[in-house]
Amino acid sequence: MSPTHLPCGDYHQNYKQDHGWWQTRLIQIKMIILLIILLLILPYMLDSFWISIVNQIGYTVLGVLGVQLLIGYCGLLTLGHAAFIAVGAYTSALLVTEFPWPQFMIDYGLAYPISIIIAGIIAGLWSVLFGLPSARVKGFYLILTTMAAQFVTVGYILQHVTKLTESQASEITMSDSLQLGPWVINLTEDSIKIYYFMVVLVILCCIIVINLTRSRVGRAWIAIRDNDISAEVMGINVIKYKLLAFFVAGFIAGIAGAFYITICPTITHEPFGWDLSLWLVGAILIGGVASIHGAFFGSFFMVLLIELLKLLKDSITETPFLKDAEIAFLKDIVFGFFICVFIIYEPKGLAYRWQQIKNYFNLWPFSY
Amino acid sequence: METFLNTIVDGVMVGGIYALVAIGWVIIYKCSGVLNLAMGELTLIGAYLSFTLYSVGVPFLIAILLSLIIGFILGLLVERIFLDKLIGESILSVIMVTVGLSFFLKGIVQFLWGTSRKVFTPSVFSIEPITIGPLAINELFLWGFVAAIILLITFVAFFKYTKWGLAMQATADDEMAALSIGISARFVYAIAWGIAFMAAGIGGTFLGNINGISPSLGHLGLLVLPAVVLGGLNSIPGAVVGGITIGILENLTGTYIDNSLKEYAPYIFMAIFLLFKPHGFWGWERIERV
Repeated sequence: MSPTHLPCGDYHQNYKQDHGWWQTRLIQIKMIILLIILLLILPYMLDSFWISIVNQIGYTVLGVLGVQLLIGYCGLLTLGHAAFIAVGAYTSALLVTEFPWPQFMIDYGLAYPISIIIAGIIAGLWSVLFGLPSARVKGFYLILTTMAAQFVTVGYILQHVTKLTESQASEITMSDSLQLGPWVINLTEDSIKIYYFMVVLVILCCIIVINLTRSRVGRAWIAIRDNDISAEVMGINVIKYKLLAFFVAGFIAGIAGAFYITICPTITHEPFGWDLSLWLVGAILIGGVASIHGAFFGSFFMVLLIELLKLLKDSITETPFLKDAEIAFLKDIVFGFFICVFIIYEPKGLAYRWQQIKNYFNLWPFSY
Repeated sequence: METFLNTIVDGVMVGGIYALVAIGWVIIYKCSGVLNLAMGELTLIGAYLSFTLYSVGVPFLIAILLSLIIGFILGLLVERIFLDKLIGESILSVIMVTVGLSFFLKGIVQFLWGTSRKVFTPSVFSIEPITIGPLAINELFLWGFVAAIILLITFVAFFKYTKWGLAMQATADDEMAALSIGISARFVYAIAWGIAFMAAGIGGTFLGNINGISPSLGHLGLLVLPAVVLGGLNSIPGAVVGGITIGILENLTGTYIDNSLKEYAPYIFMAIFLLFKPHGFWGWERIERV
């Protein structure tokens, strides 16, 4: 990936500046303004419909971060990520509804936060289980084993695990309110509290992933992605780092699933099918592989695309031609079309385009 | 004992249909190196095409033949529009374009034919099973197997005796050498996709006769992937063996273990199999060098 250049005439003078997250004064100001907008301005400017869309974007970002880590940074092609999000969602929901918590934990509101962490760990371990074949297979065959993970987990295991609980229902229904520490979130009304929760989760997960990629672990992943035989020759323990990648990706997927139960109070296996896995991989391809910006751009693009289609549907179904047609197929056609167009014409994704725009202004007038 | 024999025979028959679709997949991979995840939707298109022709009144055999021809033309079109620009790109890009293609085709199928389940009426095959000795074989499976064998023999003859078949074998073996002789690689890719559409179309037609055609038939078409992994990605006889094995495995799981696990057992088996023989039975082992 070509770097984002510093503006002309701007030089770092010590290592501390070089290591910085935000490397120029302009970026620092921009990030602070973004934080102010996110935390203070947006919740009061948008009505609850748009806040629920932003929550959906946050959920997608959490899912896509895991896939970006696996495919973009570590080179492990995975098409089964929705299964791990599902595991996180089911674990968290089951822990919150069925587990007999001691009373002091319920009083202090610790049930849901602890269930999030446990959901992340269990999803991470499940991900490592299905990542074990990566020690032996790579490339296309790894796609097939992760596909097997997806089908087996969501298609079979999760459908039957709910029957083992006390209520024997085929889905888990959450009660109306969740308590998160001292804050009580009413799931049907308090979208602003869910929004703040989402912002905190997304920022935390981004910090985790970005710091990992800037560290020794991240450099090992990039080495494995580029040429895993050379990485092994250089002394990197390839299996350990691959399994670590699966664990971290599964952990973040578990957190995404645990967050999902605040958006959707009835948990079934339906939203976590094969389609969602392909959706997440499509998001990083459209956004750009191997960059966190890419994860964000991809999620924005996908969620806003669906919302745009829903808005179009309301205007289209008045014309007699498409009156009887279901609109679900439009989502498929448009998604497929955009993936093909992006891969053929813009293979490095939207993040690359964004980087080129920044470089144009940074390097002006010497933009070569 | 009788149920066991019946299960095995049913498995072999269904496996023949899977083997046919698997051959289409292997042909695309051998000739152009494209790992095609859109195979499920190709079966859908063939199935819906023959269903439409059949419901207008065309006799079943002619409907199949016509859908073969239309499928071949569609294969040429798809290859020209989507895949020509991807020659030489990374494996993830190619796979994701086929994934995008699968979504696109599924959406178009849903747009043109709706999402409800369509049944071939009047039903093509009788419900009465044919009894051979102690076995009761469903007529549909028997004819599907026969069609698969006929097409298999046709394909083998095509590859061995016709000029373009030999050209495809040459491209599959060593593309640079084939190009230097004067074989047009793009034409070979186009024919490969056309053949895959044809094979998937027949497979889809017969699979659709079992329970009716709906867009979820694509999942059955995706079962071809365990089959080709078993047999080895590059080998056509491997695809046949893999398809039949997957058919037998599916039916055995359905009868003896759990009927809802039936669709997913091939994937579990494939995942475990990959740990022991990562290239399948007859696949070429890739030796990687730094």
